Amino acid sequence: MNTKIVATAVILLILMNVLTAQSIVNTVHNLSVSGPGTIKATSESQICIFCHTPHSTSPHKPLWNRPDPGGTYTLYTSSTTDALPGQPTGSAILCLSCHDGTIALGNVLNRSTPIGFGTISILTGRSSDLTQDLSNDHPISFVYDATLATTDGELVDPAVLTNQVQLENGQLQCISCHDAHNNIYGDFLTAPTSYSQLCMFCHTKNYWNNSSHKNSVATWNGSGNDPWFHTDYNNVAENGCENCHNPHNADGNERLLNYQLQEDNCLNCHNQNVASTNILADLSKPYIHDVFAYNTEHDPQEGALVLTRHVECVDCHNPHAANNQSATPPVANGYVQGIKGIDSNGNPVDPIQYSYELCYRCHADTPDKPASPTPRVLEQNNVRLEFDLSNPSYHPIEGPGKNNNVPSLIPPLTESSVIYCTDCHASSGTGAAMGPHGSIYPQILKYRYEKTFGTQESYQAYRLCYECHNRNEIINSGSNFGKKVHKKHVVSEDVPCNACHDPHGISISQGNSTNNSHLINFDISLVSPDPNTGKLEFQDQGNFKGRCYLECHGEKHSPKSY
Amino acid sequence: MKSLTVALVSVLLLGMVALSYGQTIVGSEHDFSNKNWNNTGEICVVCHTPHHADVTVTDAPLWNHQVTTATYTLYSSPTLDATMGQPDGSSKLCLSCHDGTVAIDNFGGQTNGNVFIGGNKLIGTDLSDDHPVSFVYDATLASNDGGLFDPTTTPSGLGGTIDQDMLFNSKLQCASCHDVHNGSGVAKLLVKSNAQSALCLTCHSK
Repeated sequence: MNTKIVATAVILLILMNVLTAQSIVNTVHNLSVSGPGTIKATSESQICIFCHTPHSTSPHKPLWNRPDPGGTYTLYTSSTTDALPGQPTGSAILCLSCHDGTIALGNVLNRSTPIGFGTISILTGRSSDLTQDLSNDHPISFVYDATLATTDGELVDPAVLTNQVQLENGQLQCISCHDAHNNIYGDFLTAPTSYSQLCMFCHTKNYWNNSSHKNSVATWNGSGNDPWFHTDYNNVAENGCENCHNPHNADGNERLLNYQLQEDNCLNCHNQNVASTNILADLSKPYIHDVFAYNTEHDPQEGALVLTRHVECVDCHNPHAANNQSATPPVANGYVQGIKGIDSNGNPVDPIQYSYELCYRCHADTPDKPASPTPRVLEQNNVRLEFDLSNPSYHPIEGPGKNNNVPSLIPPLTESSVIYCTDCHASSGTGAAMGPHGSIYPQILKYRYEKTFGTQESYQAYRLCYECHNRNEIINSGSNFGKKVHKKHVVSEDVPCNACHDPHGISISQGNSTNNSHLINFDISLVSPDPNTGKLEFQDQGNFKGRCYLECHGEKHSPKSY
Repeated sequence: MKSLTVALVSVLLLGMVALSYGQTIVGSEHDFSNKNWNNTGEICVVCHTPHHADVTVTDAPLWNHQVTTATYTLYSSPTLDATMGQPDGSSKLCLSCHDGTVAIDNFGGQTNGNVFIGGNKLIGTDLSDDHPVSFVYDATLASNDGGLFDPTTTPSGLGGTIDQDMLFNSKLQCASCHDVHNGSGVAKLLVKSNAQSALCLTCHSK
């Protein structure tokens, strides 16, 4: 009886050993007739023979039994890579002797005729065929040393690598990620790729730990393209790097992106199929930051100051950093974490601290920046100069405004409040994502803001202003100012706010606190100089008092006081 | 019931023993008795002699063939953990024909032979394209490599452990894979069949 128990135990132990032991025998790299895959020999029973032979081997180690593919490979290149991949060397050549699709699997050195295979005898055209174009594959055959890690700044020192990423003669090779004999993690990887565990052995991306792309458990709703077409993972966090990157045969060669067009990598998820907001819908509106219009202009290496006009999602968002953390203006929130910018003095910063610094990349000192939509007495399209805290007046973007008595402000806004550019410039519509992606209103304004003469005043016509400035206070307040100035012009004469006010601000380099307080800078398409005095100006006389010299819709102020 | 089991097991074991030891050198590729370069008509004499044997190679069994003095280019590889040395022990005896530097008819004291091994049986003195030999294969190596079984505990499939059945003073030699006397009757004088790479996978944990 005891013998039986012992015998049974021994048998069970042996069985468990067989079942749990990971062996090439049970993998698709067993190309022998006993192999589990669909691609295999018709009668050859030996397993090792497809790669190894004990005698008269190829010069390659270990005991290699396959011919060299030869040929010249197209190598990976990228503007951001510091590694210098060369033609495949070392064991990479061995892998490629099947996986470049040029040599039949049964073509081994120690047989005079190739080992017979079934209908599939070569990998050509299959997903496992990397081809001789390696420009869309993770680079290999480059020296990965401490110098590279330091130069790159986002790679670990290879001295701390564990056994799961092995270098070969100091070079990264196929074997660094793959173990041809062991398939416990799938794709013969040396570690799981869920949560990008394998990638993270080498890659230490700045900001990544707090990124939504690392931490979000959002899932795909099943509509549209499968955003995770090359993994088996089911949420953003599990997919990690592979949300956007594809280590082999990537459509977007440079930086191994899932898709060649930068925005496709984002909008496959940010169309409400995975992400909670629909940026794709915002970008389908008439006034957009047109990420579709540019394909090759963006380069991550470009400076903080954008010199060639373009826009891509990644000009404003760092996908390794972005998250949904809120912030208090002017501090940049999570959505624009880890991005370059230009500070209030015009100097490059990386990353931005304040949200407006991001906008200044393109809308400040850039030579090719968009023109002002409104022609004004004092023309300025450098928004950094428009928001400078030394200006006579400005909307409070960089800091609290100049005017300490603004009764129209709707609480919680006060005279010491600071706002974001995106409080005015943002996608229109209920439920739209924050940020200026796309709007039905010009200048990507969040709400309607009429600028033409003859607009009948309503809450809707100037909702952009009335969201913060109490309409009743503006046009109906009992003060002389409200009735005589705002109501008279905006309600009775159908003059838009924009005719007198320059909403960004007036640069100290052009204006002064007498003529340009209260954002006064006339729209010269509507307002012209007073023919009697030749003047076109506002004069601040303090405490809701002032006077104007101008002519507008036939009305002459020579001057007119209030 | 119990006796039936015992009987069955005994029959099986006997069968295996018969298979393992049922073959001989006679008629094998190492039976040179009818070669025109061997005018003795004997089989063993090409390698062995009962008297006045060559003892230059340690533990050489009554050696009767001229021993090679070649220096070999050794196998190396970035993933090799074993410590390589010049072939020794019985491997040196094998190479005394198979390295092509010594005439195969230089036996029994003859040194002016002129028949040399050729074809795919010629290993040459460049062993860099051959499975390494004459290295210590022990539990430490297995542990360091990670892709080898512990020879002291892993069955060889020949009755005992790898160490007991296939190693010589803990070293892997030609004779670890090859039985020059064709004891198993497997082609290429292998110690056991390599169908399903069973011979390779005896030691290699892949």
